[in-house]
Amino acid sequence: MNNSTKKDGPDTDLRSLLKNQHKKVYSICRLFAHNYKEHQHLFASIIAAASQNIRSRKANSEDKQTMLLRACINMAALHSISLEMEPAADRTIQFKSPDYQRCISQFRETMGSVSDIDKFRLFMEFEKVSPEEMNGLTGIDISKRTAPAKKESETARKNFIPYLKEKLIWS
Amino acid sequence: MELKKLLQQWNSFPELSMEERPVLSSDLEKIVVKNPLSNAFYLKKKLTVRIAIIFVLWLVNSWQFRHQWLADGNELYPQGLLFILLTYSLYFHIRLLLFADYPTLLALPLLNFLGKLETILDKYILSFRLVSAIAGFYLLFGVEWLLSRLSTGAYKTLSNNDWYKWLILIFLSVSFYILLLHTIIPRYLKVLNTVKKYKEGINAKAPVK
Repeated sequence: MNNSTKKDGPDTDLRSLLKNQHKKVYSICRLFAHNYKEHQHLFASIIAAASQNIRSRKANSEDKQTMLLRACINMAALHSISLEMEPAADRTIQFKSPDYQRCISQFRETMGSVSDIDKFRLFMEFEKVSPEEMNGLTGIDISKRTAPAKKESETARKNFIPYLKEKLIWS
Repeated sequence: MELKKLLQQWNSFPELSMEERPVLSSDLEKIVVKNPLSNAFYLKKKLTVRIAIIFVLWLVNSWQFRHQWLADGNELYPQGLLFILLTYSLYFHIRLLLFADYPTLLALPLLNFLGKLETILDKYILSFRLVSAIAGFYLLFGVEWLLSRLSTGAYKTLSNNDWYKWLILIFLSVSFYILLLHTIIPRYLKVLNTVKKYKEGINAKAPVK
C-alpha cells in the first residue's frame, strides 16, 4: 500500500501538470496537423513524450515546462519528417468541427507556406517563451551564428584529424 | 505574414471543439505509458535482440575457440577471427544502445535531438556490415557441415585448403551484405536522409544575428 502511494505520488503530479498544460500541446498541433487523425496522433505522442521526459529527468517545475515544450517541438519535427517520407500523404485541411475547420483554414491562409523553424518560432511567440529559453528549446544559438567562416577555420585548425574524429566520436 | 493578424486569429480559435477538448484522466492513463517514438525511429528492441543473439553466439564461440586452441585444430584461425568480430560487435551494439539513451532522447533541444537521431541511424546502418561479416562465418560453417554430410571428399579438400575457405567466407559475407543493401537497409537510409535534410533545412533557415 505504502509502495503504491509512493509510486503514485510523482505520477499524480505529472498527470495534473499535463492536464493543466495540455493547451500548449494543442497549440503545436494547430501548426502541424492537417486533419483530425493527425491531430489526435500528434497530441497523444507529445503527451507520451512529455511524460517520458519529465519522468527521466526528475525535473523541478520550471524544468518540467521546458521538458514539455521540448517534447512538443521534437515530436512535431518527427511528425514533419514522417510526412516528408510519405510524399503521397493527404495534406488538405480536414477537421471534424466546422468552427475549428474555419479557424484553422483562415490561420493557415494568413500564415502561408512557412518553414518548420518559423512555425516553432511562432509557437514559442504564442506561448510567450523568452528568447533565451528559445535557444534552449531548439539548440540554435544565434550568438554563435555571427561569423561562420571564422569559426570553421578555427575548428579545422583544432581538429588536426577531423575525419577520424568524426568517425570515432559520436556526438 | 503579419504577426498581429496571426495572433488575432490564434485567439479566435473556439474554446472547446472536438479537436481541442479537455483531457480526461482516463485518457492520460492510456497515453502516458505509450512509447512516443514510432517504429522507424525506435531501435531499442532491435538492438537489444541483436545484443542477446550476439552474446549467445559469443559464448558458444568462446567455448569452440578454446577447444580449437587446446587441440590446435584446423578451425583455429576462423574461430579466432570470429571471436574478435563477435566481441567487437557486442561492444558496438552495447555502445550504440547506451549512446541512444532512449528515455532522455526526446528531452534534448531540437538540433541536438536531430543530430543524435542521425548518428544513431548512421551507426545502425553501419552495424549491418558487422552482421554480414558474422553471417558470412556462420554460412561458411553451414556449407562445411553440408559438405561433410553430402560429400566427404569435397569437405576434406575445403578443410585442408585455407585459401578456398577465406575466399568463400569473403564471397558469402559480401553477398549477404548486398542482399541486406537491397532489402532492409534502404528503409533506414530513407529515414536517415530525411532526418539529415530536415536538420539542414532547420539550420539553413535559422535566424542569424
